Amino acid sequence: MKFFNEYKRQLITLAVIVLAVISFFTAGRKINAGFFDDVLGFVITPFQGAVSSVTGWVNDSVNDVIHRNELADENRELKKRIEELETENARLSLYEDENKKLSELLETAQKYKDYDTTGASVIAKDTGVWYDSFLIDKGETDGIENNMAVINAGGLVGRVVKTSAVYSKVYSILDSRSSVSAQSLRTGDLGVVVGDHELMEQGLCKMEYIDSDAEIMEGDEIITSGLSEYYPAGISIGYVKEIHQDENGLTKYAVIEPKADFKHIDTVLVIMEALERPTEVD
Amino acid sequence: MLNVIVTAAVLIVNFILQSTVLQLISIRGVIPDTAIAVIVSYALLRGQNAGAATGFAAGLIYDIIFGNSLGFYALMGLLVGYFCGICHRNFYRENYVLPVSLSALSTVITGLIIYVTGFLLKNNYDFFYFLFNVIIPQAVYTGIAAVVVYKILYSINNRVEKKERERRRLF
Repeated sequence: MKFFNEYKRQLITLAVIVLAVISFFTAGRKINAGFFDDVLGFVITPFQGAVSSVTGWVNDSVNDVIHRNELADENRELKKRIEELETENARLSLYEDENKKLSELLETAQKYKDYDTTGASVIAKDTGVWYDSFLIDKGETDGIENNMAVINAGGLVGRVVKTSAVYSKVYSILDSRSSVSAQSLRTGDLGVVVGDHELMEQGLCKMEYIDSDAEIMEGDEIITSGLSEYYPAGISIGYVKEIHQDENGLTKYAVIEPKADFKHIDTVLVIMEALERPTEVD
Repeated sequence: MLNVIVTAAVLIVNFILQSTVLQLISIRGVIPDTAIAVIVSYALLRGQNAGAATGFAAGLIYDIIFGNSLGFYALMGLLVGYFCGICHRNFYRENYVLPVSLSALSTVITGLIIYVTGFLLKNNYDFFYFLFNVIIPQAVYTGIAAVVVYKILYSINNRVEKKERERRRLF
């Protein structure tokens, strides 16, 4: 302690320089804090999980009491919807069989595969106000790997950016650090879905670099194009809400309303298939 | 030693609450940065060394779990703790003005640093949007939260100091 007091200034300056250098060199990379990561994860994530489930339960019970009548109506409607969907599903699986046979005949690979998924709970959200990332309670021990896509309610939520033994970190598609190569389902117009801080607050995101001649329209469904490094093709992202012309006149951008409900995200599915594509060009 | 353990526990509990419960009281996506309030409170109560160490630890936890780069938040926390610790000597402990105003000021400064490094350098020039919708609301919210945080830490610290004094008398 005496040593520390005597050389306080020098020590603090040294620490500042070392930290500045480290943060400069690790910026944007996958941090591998390894040991500390696992230790901190073991200490913190169980508590986060517990606190999240308790607050979630309280929130749900309060909501249940308030919205009891609406819930009964909703339940009835949902049952009807399930029936409709089951019929449709039966019809679609026939189509799928047919499609498989036809593509076998044509010897092409299936573009939109059935992906293996695993469920996970969201246990904590980023404590800052700048980004939108969260932790899930599954990690390497459950077979989660970096860059696996994460979905919820049939829509893309984001991708795993860091895995530890017991937890993983996910960047949502609303986060301004995220970008997804996407296309319009109806017209096939390509673009890039990126997060935007201003839209993030409203639970929306943005599709950039759409050709200004593209015939994309409001209400069009946007899916992943499969051109990106991380996301498999054919995952639904959301629907076009507005279309604006860019200032340069060459491209336009669309505001996308994601299918996934980002306001109440507590469980997600992880697609257990990490695309193995070269991330860097030699 | 007791002090270090208690501070570590406070930081971990704060981090857990900040990432779970505090998300429920967010106003337009803004939640109070209670970590900064903790750093400022410790810097005011225990001086520059303790402030810098607390800031470093708090930032490091964030860096490891959520951070982009290792050491960025640790550096900011360290500097916040160190500079707020300057006021430690002439600080009247029952006064809430200083912890509240320093927490708000630190939130503004760290917010500006994050904007410049994370957004401005990535071609996002919408400075006034971030100033009025993110930085200032968060500073106000953090200032309000700092009242509660400081109150809790003040009483915890009093107890710790009492224990430490007792121990010193024994030897």
